[in-house]
Amino acid sequence: MNCGYGEKLILYFYGEAGAGSRSSGQYSSSAIPLSGDETASAVEAHLKSCAACRDAFAALTAAEGLLKESAALPPASALEAVMRQARAAAAGARSPFFAGNRVETAFAGVMAFALMAVFALFPRGTSPELAWNSGLDSSLDSVEYSLYQAQSELTASSGDWEYSYDLLNAERQILDPGEG
Amino acid sequence: MREELSDPELVASFKGGDVEALGVLMERHKAALYGYLLRVTARTDAAEDLFQEVFLKLVHNPGAYSERLKFRAWLFTVARNAAMDYFRREGSRRALTLPQGAFAGDEDGDAPSALEMAASAEPGPQEALENKLLGERIARALETLSQEQREIFYLRHYSELSFKEIAEMLGLPIGTVLARMSRAAARLRGELKKMPQ
Repeated sequence: MNCGYGEKLILYFYGEAGAGSRSSGQYSSSAIPLSGDETASAVEAHLKSCAACRDAFAALTAAEGLLKESAALPPASALEAVMRQARAAAAGARSPFFAGNRVETAFAGVMAFALMAVFALFPRGTSPELAWNSGLDSSLDSVEYSLYQAQSELTASSGDWEYSYDLLNAERQILDPGEG
Repeated sequence: MREELSDPELVASFKGGDVEALGVLMERHKAALYGYLLRVTARTDAAEDLFQEVFLKLVHNPGAYSERLKFRAWLFTVARNAAMDYFRREGSRRALTLPQGAFAGDEDGDAPSALEMAASAEPGPQEALENKLLGERIARALETLSQEQREIFYLRHYSELSFKEIAEMLGLPIGTVLARMSRAAARLRGELKKMPQ
């Protein structure tokens, strides 16, 4: 199509060329609302004398017709999947836990911690044998021994320090008998 | 009641917590959006996934759509981007080898050509098979369009946006969009003439 009507034909075909184009006359095949001020009548007049544009128009009509005939819809499951996620997101946004209700969230945290402490301090359903077999007793013994050892070392250090202090005091009195 | 609301009003309602407003939006645009995605990807599973992806974008980030914009333009922009991402992920582009042949037609005379007659013919009992074959030829002709030409052709058909709006969506001058469509029409005409009846 070297007639210079290529783009005007497109606008005319899709109802964007101006009032009076595709909705009436020999080449009308759609009721698309028209807009703009393109000279649709000039395109119509041109179509009568240009076979190439007529064929292009017919090809567009055929292609548009094929797309209309082969229209398809998404399965209902696709829409339902979106709606499920939308409802879940909305429910999540409304939930006090996620809505920033800090008092309730903090209270829930404290309660969870208290329950964990209770279970840790008062274990139930564990027989002495099981505790022994599990190595719990030996672990506790190790901890106890470590504590005892640390206490002994601390006492020894304290004794050493007192001894050194007395020694220094004695030396000072020798050097300066007038003091003390 | 919801069905009477405009698209931006439905989105605003959805943002306000009315989940069912989203259902109305989907019902309103499902045929156009799914048809476009199915045409572009040529796969029902991909079209379904992308259809959900587009609307889930609104679910997870309602602020992504501004009521100042035309909803359908936003919808097809997101759909186009999602389809491009899909192709990037898949690393595949459809390439169809087309049979070449001759399509008889009177290009110079005033008498209606075979193509003109085919486009305007009303389907009759004997014409059912011919129409089916013609449909197949048109589908093959569409496949010969360049990616840019096909994109604009499909966008115009399914989104029903004006060429000006499509040009804005694609960030192209309207002259470029119209030139591509004009070449697409010429290509369709040429391919349909070449193919055997």
